[in-house]
Amino acid sequence: MLRGFRSFHPFVLLLYYIIVIAGLMMYQHPVFLTAALLSIIFVNLILDKGVELNKWKYMIIFLALFVFVFTPLFNQQGNIVLFELFSRAFYLEAVIQGAMIALTLSGILALFTTFNIIITSDKFLYLFSKFFPKWALILMLALRFMPLFRKRLADIQDVQEMKGVSMKDGKLREKAQNGMLFIQILLTYSLEEAVQTADSMSARGYGLQKRSQYEAYLWKSRDWAMLVFLLLLSLLTLIGWKSNKTILTLTPELESMMLQGHSWFYLLSWILLISLPIWTEGKEVIKWNFYK
Amino acid sequence: MELLQMRNLNFTYPNSSDQALTDINFTVHEGDFVVLCGPSGSGKSTLIRLMKQELNLHGTKSGEIYYQGIPFEQHDAITLAKDIGMVFQDPENQIVMSNVMDELLFGMENLGFSTNEMRKKTAEIVHYFGFNHLLQQDTSELSGGEKQQINLASVLLLDPKILILDEPTAQLDPIAAKNFMYLLKQLNDELGITIIIAEHRLNELFSLANRIVVLEQGKIKFSESPRKALSLLAENMTAYLPEASQLYLAFTGILKTPDIPFHVKEAKQWLKGMDITSNQSQQEEQVKPEKPLLELKEIDFSYSKHTEPVLNNLSLTVQEGEWLAILGGNGTGKSTLLKIIAGLLTAQHGRIRYKGKKVKQIDRKLIGYLPQNPKLYFLHETLQEEYTALATKHGKSETEVQTLVKEFQMEALLDRHPYDLSGGELQRAALVGILIGNPQILLLDEPTKGMDPAFKEEFASIIQTVKHTGVTIMMVTHDVEFAAKHVTRCSMLFQGEVIVTEDTTAFFKDNDYYTTMINRITKDSQVPTVVTVEEAKASWQMKKALPSSV
Repeated sequence: MLRGFRSFHPFVLLLYYIIVIAGLMMYQHPVFLTAALLSIIFVNLILDKGVELNKWKYMIIFLALFVFVFTPLFNQQGNIVLFELFSRAFYLEAVIQGAMIALTLSGILALFTTFNIIITSDKFLYLFSKFFPKWALILMLALRFMPLFRKRLADIQDVQEMKGVSMKDGKLREKAQNGMLFIQILLTYSLEEAVQTADSMSARGYGLQKRSQYEAYLWKSRDWAMLVFLLLLSLLTLIGWKSNKTILTLTPELESMMLQGHSWFYLLSWILLISLPIWTEGKEVIKWNFYK
Repeated sequence: MELLQMRNLNFTYPNSSDQALTDINFTVHEGDFVVLCGPSGSGKSTLIRLMKQELNLHGTKSGEIYYQGIPFEQHDAITLAKDIGMVFQDPENQIVMSNVMDELLFGMENLGFSTNEMRKKTAEIVHYFGFNHLLQQDTSELSGGEKQQINLASVLLLDPKILILDEPTAQLDPIAAKNFMYLLKQLNDELGITIIIAEHRLNELFSLANRIVVLEQGKIKFSESPRKALSLLAENMTAYLPEASQLYLAFTGILKTPDIPFHVKEAKQWLKGMDITSNQSQQEEQVKPEKPLLELKEIDFSYSKHTEPVLNNLSLTVQEGEWLAILGGNGTGKSTLLKIIAGLLTAQHGRIRYKGKKVKQIDRKLIGYLPQNPKLYFLHETLQEEYTALATKHGKSETEVQTLVKEFQMEALLDRHPYDLSGGELQRAALVGILIGNPQILLLDEPTKGMDPAFKEEFASIIQTVKHTGVTIMMVTHDVEFAAKHVTRCSMLFQGEVIVTEDTTAFFKDNDYYTTMINRITKDSQVPTVVTVEEAKASWQMKKALPSSV
């Protein structure tokens, strides 16, 4: 898709993830967290119809339940005892705490399922190379060698199997021995061949001067707009957190879960922040449907 | 303008008593298309590598190389890296990045181009080469020809004045090789890039180059225009000539003529002036009793359930004691067929019979397999260790191995590491190893790839000796000329099916496109149709040779 959330500069996208995850960890309030989780599920739905989330759903549910059940078991702080089991008190505060941790966790995991869709491997490599250019180059060379090694090993196996040296049948000891032999051949052979790769690199001027970097992603005016918007919302998030309006006080006395006054405003800006992909992608969906 | 100049260049590798290059003097002018040729070990690669400063060849060098009149040492390293571009032999090993776009950018990033420059230049080159569809692909998914084009493009992006190529088509199939050569011609004609290429596949190059330099034992034998080079080569390096010229030489015997034909059109012209009849007695082939060794019936194979079948309803019979060639384009399933016979893959449908008996898989011990890359065959440090291990495995005595080693003249090489052998020696060494196992069938996978013409002949005679010991040989190849010369029968594979299997001569005589140069020359002419120079020599009778009028 040419437009939509994915078309923003990788830096902006990375910033979005950092802010939302930070927000999820700061806003320990059931209402805020539930709103966040629902928004993130919506984000998933609009990005890929929830395909990626679907793959992870059992994992997420299991982890959330695990945390939700075990937190009240170990957390013994609170005033309101719900019930007692095996001479152990279960406090309402601890149950709420458990729910909030579970919500935070599932929110972060659900958000991460979109990470692969939004920040694809080449965008990730681009970001990586911005921070660690040398390591990124090594990583890219390694990425090239993976399929090459796999193919060579398959070739070696074929040729040696025809000679009667095999990793497939025989005693375990023999199989292991042959396998080691194959790896040894693979390495010797690959080292030989890598000399040519090194020649080809230096023939194209590698190491003569500082490398420049190709900017695969240009900074557009929309990226500025989005960046300013993101920073504004994150500032609001920060103020909300500082003012304690967005955190549920558990001790010394449990606060009411109902939102009051300014809290509503912060909730609005919080939802607005998380659902940025929904606005940007949704615009495209509407446009395409409209023009059809 | 003199672009590159070598004066009194000598070079010796460390720990070597012989000079690799002796007194090299030659000049390359702007816009030249120079071909360096000569047998393996003649110093081609050394010379070519010396022209590229960054490769930093180890050894002692005397003499000077000048670029634009200034010695290499006084040039800025970056200017040299930019102006002199180099493409190597192996398409795979030159590629550094995992995706095509990054590979194209690699050189430009090294030399500090800005993003805007890189964008513009890639856009231009992608358009010029027409590989828009490859840009987002992984480099490991490309064919050999495509890989070599990417390598070329990646070098061209640096705006070289001179392009140096070290046997760039040796690993490509004939079609891809031809396309690559014409691409070079296009660069030379349209962009004026000077080209220096080392190569022993000269057929196309004679009509593309404007100068041929022949090296022998580290010395320049001559450096002439293609026409002159042709008559000089005719004296004692006929194997390097195009078949058309070989045919001419076989029948005229006149040397030093300025007009030896080197392509089909010219040779046809020359034949018009000839009166040739065929020598009937030679035509009759002795009919050999057929004894099928291996029969494949209605073989179907696909790599997975949902992919297109690679082999489809394939039937093939291999006769005992024959040398069968399997020909066909890329991706027609040639290598897959070999793997099925070898038992490395199992066909989903179909039957295999060995000596008339139905088998599920042929016993591995009966099959010898010479891989495309013989380096992969060796597991031990020296040949001696390898052979000893194989002998114990197959229960062979030391003396039996000794006889084989002697027969293939490998005595002197027994203590060497396999990787220190030359390409030809390596193949011989692997063959000895295979023959220790006493195979009944020998499978060869593209054996002539990257061989120089002289070694091809030697290899053919080695295989003939193996064949005379009663081993049946099956070869997968692209090399039409080689197959026509040496093989008993040919099969054509097309879309996963053997569409025809015939005796070599009959096979090539019928074909119009997939055939030898000699057949294309003699087909539909007044002279008897032949397939190889040897056949012409044996079967043609010349009534009178009219003075050639080309």
